[in-house]
Amino acid sequence: MYFVIGDYMAGMLIGALTALGVRAVVWPGMDMVIAMLLGMAVGMAIHLILGLLLAPLLEMFYTMMPAMVIGMYGGMLFGMRDSMAAGSQTLGAAAVVGALFGAIVVFGLKVYDCTLRGVVVDTGD
Amino acid sequence: MDKETQRKWDSASRTLDLFTYGENRRLGPHKRQMLSKIHGATLMVAAGTGNDFEFFPPGQHIVAIDISPKMLERAAKKAAAYQGTIELCEVDVCELPFPDASFDTVVTVCTFCSVPRPVVGLRELHRVLKPGGQVLMFEHVRSKIGPFSIFLDLMTPLSRRFGPDLNRDTVGNVQKAGFRLRREENVYLDIVKIIEAVKESA
Repeated sequence: MYFVIGDYMAGMLIGALTALGVRAVVWPGMDMVIAMLLGMAVGMAIHLILGLLLAPLLEMFYTMMPAMVIGMYGGMLFGMRDSMAAGSQTLGAAAVVGALFGAIVVFGLKVYDCTLRGVVVDTGD
Repeated sequence: MDKETQRKWDSASRTLDLFTYGENRRLGPHKRQMLSKIHGATLMVAAGTGNDFEFFPPGQHIVAIDISPKMLERAAKKAAAYQGTIELCEVDVCELPFPDASFDTVVTVCTFCSVPRPVVGLRELHRVLKPGGQVLMFEHVRSKIGPFSIFLDLMTPLSRRFGPDLNRDTVGNVQKAGFRLRREENVYLDIVKIIEAVKESA
């Protein structure tokens, strides 16, 4: 249970900080492609720093893979969204959307992990 | 002896226990399950600071090697606490000092992400295993899933400076070294795996 809660908390934290980081560098009206690339770069930087800090508690890959998806793809999405000024007028609202995105990614990866986990090859000897 | 690799892991020995704290608690049951299959003369490659000794079944005699003397210094206390015997040796897996067909089981835990010449190291393991002997590996490998594999490829030049490569094809390397794959199990996504292989009897 410690790890399940930890995974969701980490995902939500990385999502929220990515959304806030993107909000700090992308402004409404910015070229959407540039906003997307900038958002991705910010997300990657945030996920690397937080991933490194959280990995000792949660295990490296369990931390890094969701953090990568949240940082990279979340950063792109938040960048596009902020450049269009589409929703989340306040910083708090942006952080909530980021945290929600993080939680959804963690849930999605847990479901995906369930489909992949288990024996791939077994010759039976 | 690969002095560059030795220096890197001597340096990493200071923080390894911290970075594997979560790993041992989260993945410990999987390691314990894998290590319950050891039998006969057993060689553990890349013992590190001895964090995995607690997962060995009691009463075994294990030869545990590592390229880093600093790692082995830290491992000595954990080896002494093991309910069996663990003999620690400073050895490069690519230049094993053991005769052919010396061991029944070889164990690796997160090892072949770090050996600079993995197939050479695995061929050495093949040489020192008895015919019919087994290699049990708990390893992380390159994902076959597009977005994950790209990320692991991108991160490897950075991770390699301080620790392991993240994009090794260890299952393929095991087979290249002459082993027959007996069992492969995904522990997390298709990245963290238990790999079991055997050296065919002549």
